[in-house]
Order: sequence, then C-alpha cells, then structure tokens
Amino acid sequence: MRPHLAALLWRTALAAGLVCGIGLLPWLTHTDPALTVLKARSPERDPTPEVLADIRDQLGLDSGPSALLAQWLGGLAHGDAGRSWISGGEVMPAVLRALGASLLLMAVALLVAAVVAAAVCARTLHLGARRRLKGRRAGGTGSAVLAALPEFLVGSVLATVVGVQLGWLPALGWYGPQWTVLPALALGLPAGAVLGRLLDDLLPGAFGEQWARAAAARGLPGRRIARQAVRRCLPALLPNLGLFVVGLTGGSVAVEQIFDIPGIGRTTLQAALAQDLPVLQAGTLALVLLGAVATGACGLAARLLVGPALRDGALPTLHGPARSRRSVQPFVHGAVLAAVVAFGLPRDPLALNTGERLQAPSPAHPFGTDALGRDLLARVAHGALDTLLLALAISAAALCAGVLLGLLPRLSGPLVDTVNAVPAALAALLVTAVAGSGTTTPALAVTAVAWAPLAAHTSALLAQERATLHLTATRSLGASRRHLLRRHLLPAVLPPVTRHALLRLPGIALTLASLGFLGLGAQPPSPEWGALLAENQPYAERAPWTVLAPAAVLALLGALAVTAAGGVRRPGRQRRNHGSEAPPVAPPAAPAKELAETR
Amino acid sequence: MRPLRSRLFAALALTPLLAGCFASQGGEAQDDGNGGNGSRLRVALAFPPAERLSPYGADATLLSRLGVAEGLTTMDANGAAAPALAASWRQVDEKTWVFTLRDAEFQDGTDVTPSAVVNALTRATRAEPAPAALSGVTLTAEADGGQAVRVRTAEPDPILPLRLSSPALAVFSGKAYGTGGDGGRVDPVGTATGPFELTEVDGAASATLDRFDAYWGGRAQASGIDARFVADGTARANALRTGEVDIAEAVPVAQAATLDEDTRRDTATTRTTALLLNSSSGPFKDPGLRAAARAAVDTSALADGVYEGYADPGAGVYGPAVTWADGKRRKPAGRAQAERAKDTPITLATYDNRPELPEVAQVLKQQLEKAGFAVQLEVREYSRLESDALEGKFDAFVLARNTLVDTGDPVAVLAGDYTCDGGYNIAQLCDKDVDRAVAAAQRTADPGERQDAAMAAEAEILGTDAVVPLVHQRIITGVGTTVRGVVLDPYERALVGTGTRR
Repeated sequence: MRPHLAALLWRTALAAGLVCGIGLLPWLTHTDPALTVLKARSPERDPTPEVLADIRDQLGLDSGPSALLAQWLGGLAHGDAGRSWISGGEVMPAVLRALGASLLLMAVALLVAAVVAAAVCARTLHLGARRRLKGRRAGGTGSAVLAALPEFLVGSVLATVVGVQLGWLPALGWYGPQWTVLPALALGLPAGAVLGRLLDDLLPGAFGEQWARAAAARGLPGRRIARQAVRRCLPALLPNLGLFVVGLTGGSVAVEQIFDIPGIGRTTLQAALAQDLPVLQAGTLALVLLGAVATGACGLAARLLVGPALRDGALPTLHGPARSRRSVQPFVHGAVLAAVVAFGLPRDPLALNTGERLQAPSPAHPFGTDALGRDLLARVAHGALDTLLLALAISAAALCAGVLLGLLPRLSGPLVDTVNAVPAALAALLVTAVAGSGTTTPALAVTAVAWAPLAAHTSALLAQERATLHLTATRSLGASRRHLLRRHLLPAVLPPVTRHALLRLPGIALTLASLGFLGLGAQPPSPEWGALLAENQPYAERAPWTVLAPAAVLALLGALAVTAAGGVRRPGRQRRNHGSEAPPVAPPAAPAKELAETR
Repeated sequence: MRPLRSRLFAALALTPLLAGCFASQGGEAQDDGNGGNGSRLRVALAFPPAERLSPYGADATLLSRLGVAEGLTTMDANGAAAPALAASWRQVDEKTWVFTLRDAEFQDGTDVTPSAVVNALTRATRAEPAPAALSGVTLTAEADGGQAVRVRTAEPDPILPLRLSSPALAVFSGKAYGTGGDGGRVDPVGTATGPFELTEVDGAASATLDRFDAYWGGRAQASGIDARFVADGTARANALRTGEVDIAEAVPVAQAATLDEDTRRDTATTRTTALLLNSSSGPFKDPGLRAAARAAVDTSALADGVYEGYADPGAGVYGPAVTWADGKRRKPAGRAQAERAKDTPITLATYDNRPELPEVAQVLKQQLEKAGFAVQLEVREYSRLESDALEGKFDAFVLARNTLVDTGDPVAVLAGDYTCDGGYNIAQLCDKDVDRAVAAAQRTADPGERQDAAMAAEAEILGTDAVVPLVHQRIITGVGTTVRGVVLDPYERALVGTGTRR
C-alpha cells in the first residue's frame, strides 16, 4: 500500500503545484491580467488607467495571487470553481460542458484511431498469423506519412472536400452523431498511425515467441494466434493510449476551431491567452484528473491482460527476429529531400511579388507561389535546415529525458500524466514565466512536454522486460542492477523508444510553429516548415500546392525518420539471449551502447 | 468473462453519448410553428459573446447587429444621430438636452417610459468599467414629464445625441437589471425593444431570437433568427456554402474567392489600417526618416495584392466609408523632406488576430527595405503585444483601427491616438499643432463644422508623417442567394433589420 500512497501524494503535489503555478502566472510573467482580460472582453477598448483599475477592483486583483488562489481553492472544496474573469459566468458548468464535448470527440477519434492502427498492423498480423514474417521488409512509409500529417491540415481538407464540395457530412458544429465523423477522422488518422506503428513494432516479437510457434504447430487458427499476439503487445502500448486519451481531449484546439466544436481545448487556450485564471485552473485540473483516471484505467487494463505474468516474472522476451534485408526506402526518401533542398537553396525565399500570388506550379516556380507571391520551393528548402536541426535537437533532448525519467516510473508516472495534460500554449506560458522569452524558450517549452510519451513508453517496456524469464535467470546468476540495466534493459528498450521519438519528429516541428502567436518561435517571414503550413492554411482550397509542398516534405521527413530507424542496423552483432535485435544507430542511443560494449 | 467485459466496454463507450455532450441547435424546433409567416434567418456571427451579452462591453454590438436592442438615437448613413426610441430632441443649454420618447414597448410587454429610460441610462453610468461611449463623461438623466427625458452632462457635450446612439447605451426594461446579485449583470433576454427578441442564449455557441411583434417600427419580415457564433472565418464561409446559414459575417479575404460571386457583398468600413511610426524614440524620431518611410510605401500593392481588392488604398485617417470626409479633405502641410535611410534598423510589429495584417507587414518589410531600412518583424497575438506597443517599444506598428470608435464621433479617434494625452497613442505623437487642432475640433458643436475641424486636424496629423494610412478595409459579408434586405452597415452596428428575409 505504501507505494500507492506515495504515488497519490506525488500526484496531488504535482496537481497542486500546477494550479499554483497558473495562479501565479501573471505575476511571474509580469503581464497585467486586467489588460488581457479587457482585451478579451473588448478588443477595441482603449486601456485607460481608470478602466484597468475598475477591472482590477472587479476581479479583486489587488489582494494578490495567494489570496485569490486560497479563495478559489476554498470554493473548489464546495464544487464551486469561481466565476470567469471574462464573462462573469460560473466556471464549473462551462468547463464540464466543454469537457463533455471533448470527451465524446476523443472517444470517437480513438475509435477511428483503432481502425487505422488495425489497418497499419494488418499486414504484420496477416503474415505473422501464417508465420511468414521472417525476412519481410521494414515497411511503414504510408503510416509514417499519415502520422506526420498535421491534424489541422487533415481537418481543413476533410471539411472542404467531404463537408462542402461533396456535402456528405456536416462540416460545422456539434449537434449530433453525424457531426462527430469528420473531426474524429482528422484527429484519429494521425493518432491511429502513431499507435499502429508502435504496435507494428512489437508484433513480430510476439509472433516469435514460443507459445505462438507451439500454437501454430498445434494447428490453432491464425486468427486466434493473431488475437493473442495483439493481447500480448497491448500492455506496452496502453500507457501511450492513456496519453492519447488526454492529448486528444485537451489538445485538439485546431480541429475544434475548424469544425466549431465547443471543446475544452479552445476553452483553456482562450483562458490562457486572456489570463482568465479561474477557467484555466479549472480546465487544467479537469485534464490532470482525466490523465490520472486514464492512467489508472490503463494500468488496470494491463493487469487484466497480462497481470499474473507480469507479477510472476513469467514473460518471455518480446523481441522479434531481425529484419535481415536492408531497405532502400530511407535512401530514396533522403535523396528526394536532399534534392528538394539542393534545388531550392539558390532561390530567394523572401522576395515577394504580390503580382504573382498563388500561382500554380510552373517551370519558373516548380512548387508554385504563396499568397504573397514567394517561391514555395525556395521557402521549403530554406526552412529545411532550421526545421530539421531544431526538431532533431528537441527530439534528442526529449529522448534522453524520456528514457532517463522512464527508468524511474514511480517518479515519472504521475509527472508524465500531469505534463501531458497541460495544453501546449499553457506549457509555453509557464516555461516563459520561468525562463523568460529568449530564443531558446520555444524549444524548451516543446521539450518540456515532448518527453512525456517517450517516458511512458520506456516505463511500459521496462516493466515488461523486467518480468522476462531471461532477466530472472541473469538475476539469479548474481548480475548487479547496473549490469542488468546496461546489458539487458537499455538495449532492449532503446530501439523501440528511439523509433517512437523519430515518429514524433514532424509533430515537434508543428508544435514549435503553433507557439508563434505567443511571440515565441518562428516569426514571419521565416520559412520554418510548421510556420509555412500555418500561414498557407487559409489558402488550402484555392491553392492546394501552398500547403501540399510543406506537408509533403514534412511527411517525407516522417517517413525518412521511421524507415531509417527501422531499416538501418548495426551489422555483425548478435545478442545471445535477446534474439538478434540490436539497437538502431541513433545519436541518443550511442553512449549507452558504447558503455555496454566496453564492459 | 469476455462477453461481459465487452458489454461493459460498450456501455462505457456509450456513456458520453448519453450524457448530452452535444451543443443544442438553436431554435430548429420553433421553425414550423411560424410556418407561412416568414422563415427564420440563420446567421453565422464572427465574434462570440465575451461577457454573456452584457451591453456595456463589446457584446453590445452583437445586440444591435441582431436587432435586439436600441438606444434613444441611432446613427444614420452619414454618421449623424437619427431618431430611435427618442422621436425628437432639443438642446436646452450647453449641458442639457431633452429627448422626447416615442410610443414603444419593451419585449416583456411593459411600456417604454421616461423612468425606465432614466433607470437604463443611470445603470449604464454606474457600470464598472464604464461603457466606452461614456468614458470621461459624467451624465445624469431624469424624467421630464410623462413623455420626455432630460439628460445633463457635467461638461458641455456637443455630440450627446450621437453618443446616445452607442449600442452600449441601449435601453432595457427594469426586469433586465435584476437585483444586483450577479455582479450588476444586465440580462438582455426578452427585455429590450428591438424587432427581434432574444429567447435563449447558449453560452458562446449560439443564440435564438424570435420576432417581436409589437415593435414600434413595424413587424419584422423574418419570423426569427438562429444566430451561431463561429470564430473561424473559413468555417463561416463553409457554413454559407453548404447552405447551413443564410448570412455569414466577416468572411476573410482569403476565403472570399471560394464564395460564389452572387453571395459576396463587400462594404466599405470605417476601419483604417495604418502604419504608425514611433515619433518619440528610435530612428523615426527623425521626421526625415518618417517621410522616407511614407514615400516608400505603395498602398495599392497592399489593397490589390494582400486584400485582393477588398480594400481601398489609404487616403487619410478616415476612409471612403466616412462619406463626408473625402469632400472636406485638406492637403497635409509642412511635411518634412524625405531623407535616405542607410541600413537603419527598425522593428515593425503587428498582430495576427486579423489574418491580413501579418501579410501586410511582410509586404511593408520589403517596401521599406528597398528604401534602405533593415526591418525586423514582430508578430504576436494582440493582447500579448499591446502594452509593448503603447510603451513605444516598437519603431513601427501596423494597426487596423476603427476610426469612428464607440460614439461615432470622428474627433474621438484623433484625440485618443494622436495627442500628447491620448490613451492609445501608439505613434507616441506629441505635437503642439496637432493638439491645438484636435482641441479646436473637440470644442466645435455644429456637426458640419466639427467635420471640417476634424479634417483640419487630420491634415495636421498626416503632416507629421507619424501615421501612414495604408488601406481602408472593406468587410465581406456572405449572403445566401435567396436572402433579401441584409443591412450592410459601414459602422458595423446593424446586420439584420425589419426588412431582412429569405
């Protein structure tokens, strides 16, 4: 019971810290809440000292943050989350309604994600059930491309094409089941691709296990073997599923905007911008609670699925046979990307000519021009370096932090849930409060949230790995914890987590761009890829090429990252008790591996 | 075990569905009730209510655009005061006006009496913060016999009738003001006097309105309005294209081309986008460099290239929507000679709440760089930018400003934005001649002379080159092909009127 209590305490402390952090936000960032509240109420109103003083009086700002916070917490004990600073309406009913809409959207999106994930794994399942996995090529370009597609792009394309041009489904509002389809698709497609890739990564290992061979030998139908293989792999995935539950509930601002859904993402973003602290606190707290519940549910589900095996250390290791054939895909992807950059670099990404706006692709402008008549090829190429370097650096940092914290699941579990529940804009504001608005702030803000899914993944894999038979054997032979960690745990965990980190690389580039409106991140006219997508989104229908080019290179980057991680392996190294899986060559993994080799 | 578990799962998955997680869809149900009596209008509005439709803030405009609330007066096409709840008025002395009320009824069935009007105006003066139309004005109202209201101001106020046309000073019945339990909130549901009556407000998502049959101006043709607040411009345009709404307010320029030509209406507005140059610090303290910046700007490239023709090139502080301005415009005098900038570094800031502004800033960057400036752009969300702008931290600022703010008085914007004491002086302009000219305009009572004086002050301001008018924005309203009688108001105070129908 003790560890549970400690975890509960730690979780409560984190939630309390977050709420207090929000309560102090205006005082930490030196942004006058009276001013931001006034601007949220009446953007045109001149901020005269009298008006600001009236608002301060009205909100009781002069009594200071601690009094305000104490008052809010006191009310919360009676289920009263105070009144919104902007509208004056009661917070609790508004937040609960928004949460309800978002939860429904999330549920349908997860359904879509499940279907997509199934489609992504279909080939592996099919082959695995028939025991024909050996020697197949590392595929997955399609799912990597899908995972790299930004939600807002999928959303606006669906709204325009399916909603407006074809008229099959309503594209605006939130009034009934048929309204949920398009937004759920926009959210579920990329999420399903990520989950599908993670599952696809684990499945060959499950099919390689003894029971699967035995079952096949006994003539059990392939379908049943496949089902058990999925069941075998799900526990490692569940923590990430839990994160998606919260991420899709609180973080789908763009999709809520496009389809006009009164969800909690928009509510908290608006509150964060206007410093409407009661709403922001209530919304964040609701998301943190949801995160805790989701984690609890996932833990329960994992226990139901493989509980006794986990406890008794009776799991075989989950490492698939080596995918022996080297894939040419990463080289193709890399070559295309390099060619685009090489052709674009000599062009001027900033020279604008409003006379040539929104020109379709032509010999003079191979990728067309944007709304200000700038050459898109040039912009894509010039943005490549910044985008790639920054996103790679953040991914590497997030991977290191994620793996390190993932090794300490008691400490990081609640932290992961809490961090994951914090909306990106709020995280950026909090980081700005601590680090100031320097050039590194956006990168810090993104890193501060990007490590969470990787840590969750690491913890889940570790828990399984610790329960494997060969570890029990090694332990009983007297191996030290250090030895276990270096020789067995890390080498087993790093490859899939690294692939996971690379899968999320394009998403990091997009998150970076989404901080622009806070004055953080890339400023126009910088051709950073995420910024390119954002600035051209309004023209997506009239001039599809303006978003196609940046989306294509981003997807290509995703495909490159994933296929490179899956296909490029260190040759000539076999691990006896691990099958033949060796860590992929990736910068963050290298130091651990070197250490392992020198011993 | 498994069937039970899967059943449990299904139940869990369905729970949110059962919990009523959807938004309510306005007044669909009432649709058939008024069959054959004019159909309901479906309107997509751009700005959701921020303060639960309180008339004392920006939401007041929503109430007046939907034909819910009215004040004693209204503003006519020429920007002059016209009768509304007051049938006529006269000035008794410098500080006193008497407004004679017409026979009208509140939507709750009570009569519009002088005491009700006095109550409404008194409440407005006590609101905190005070409505923008009343800032700096001390106003008292009292009943004057059975049919008139006497309004006094502490200082002479030549534009009082125009001031009372502000949507913030709309008149509601006593029931609206409650007992003060909810922070002195005004409840506009069923308590106003306009042709349409609010029956239900669903937070910041939608509002339902029914026709108010006893409206003094005659019964409206539409039987009601289902208003939805859709913040995303593309979503509003899409709603019109799919026929989900009849009127879509403020369609972004980028989406205009996706609408059929016969559903696009554009109206000149009083909104002027201008380049403000910081004239008290930094490189633009030098009038010669300000002149160089003005000379470098090509406004037609902005109007055609960025606004796709949905804007007029900048002529002055007031654009073509201010109908009288063009005929009275004077040539700015005393402009400095343009100097040549030599790689002068400047910061140019703007905000992204209006999607065209970052594009304008990028075009300006190129134009200014051709003239020898080294431009650094700064684009943020408006509330994250304003205090820095007011403190003069930027050398140049691109601002879209409504030039007939709050009261409809042309002088107010000049006093606020370009005088030493101005509360919204982003250009940091402090010039004796400008202050003198603006003060003279503020003192002038006669509407025509006031306009002349305003134009004289405008010429003084433009002469300093602290402000470079870029474009006068046209607002695009999407109107369904079957809809007639939409009120396209340059002052953005009206949208649906008694004659609007489909």
